Amino acid sequence: MSRRAGETILIGDDIEIVITHIGRSRVKVGIRAPRETLVIAREVKLVRDENLAAAVTTPPAALFNLVARLQPASGSGTVCRVPQPPHSSLQSPRR
Amino acid sequence: MPDFETTSFGRISYQPEWAIEFPSGLPGFEDRRRFAAVKFEESAPLVFLQSLEDPALCFITLPVLAVDPQYRLEVSGEDLGQLGLAPGKQPCIGTDVLCLTVIAIRESGPTANLLAPIVVNLRNLMAVQAVAPESEYSLQHVLLPEEAPVCS
Repeated sequence: MSRRAGETILIGDDIEIVITHIGRSRVKVGIRAPRETLVIAREVKLVRDENLAAAVTTPPAALFNLVARLQPASGSGTVCRVPQPPHSSLQSPRR
Repeated sequence: MPDFETTSFGRISYQPEWAIEFPSGLPGFEDRRRFAAVKFEESAPLVFLQSLEDPALCFITLPVLAVDPQYRLEVSGEDLGQLGLAPGKQPCIGTDVLCLTVIAIRESGPTANLLAPIVVNLRNLMAVQAVAPESEYSLQHVLLPEEAPVCS
């Protein structure tokens, strides 16, 4: 199917895709779909699924297991209870 | 200093000016906008991104350079705008922005999302998860045991 700017594609009865602008390397499309239909870019969907899988519902013990596997504890074990300001606490890692 | 009860860490206290703000949330968590970066000495270099709106929501992250020291950050113009950064210039990790990769714990082992890192503007603590459509980085980069520092 080939379309010009301003032309429309229908998918089923209630989804409409309008080619609104054709640039050199990008195409802008407008999508009209029912509210309950999720309309997102494929890569955003992938990241969304990945975030849903990554969101921790894991109990802390499992987290600290991971930590032990990534980097054996140095021995101090002191807990910083206060979230650190990223600009002061998060340096590039040094090995 | 406000307190916040979390599922993973119990009660944490934080300075409001340290809260990280995601103007559009994260994909899948669009209505979660405020997070705190929680670090523990014993779990360094892990950074836990704890939602300040949902006690049960926490992401395990690592500074992206800890996973790939050569990581090349590419932030879209739209995302640069959300971060309050000038368009047309890629921010520098460490001086302009904090760049974190989200870790997922799978049965096969932990993986890091290098395709869509979390980028925090260090000057105003505005943040986005920068989805790069044309990036060659993996959504599920395997954190091999060999890559972790190992004590003998």
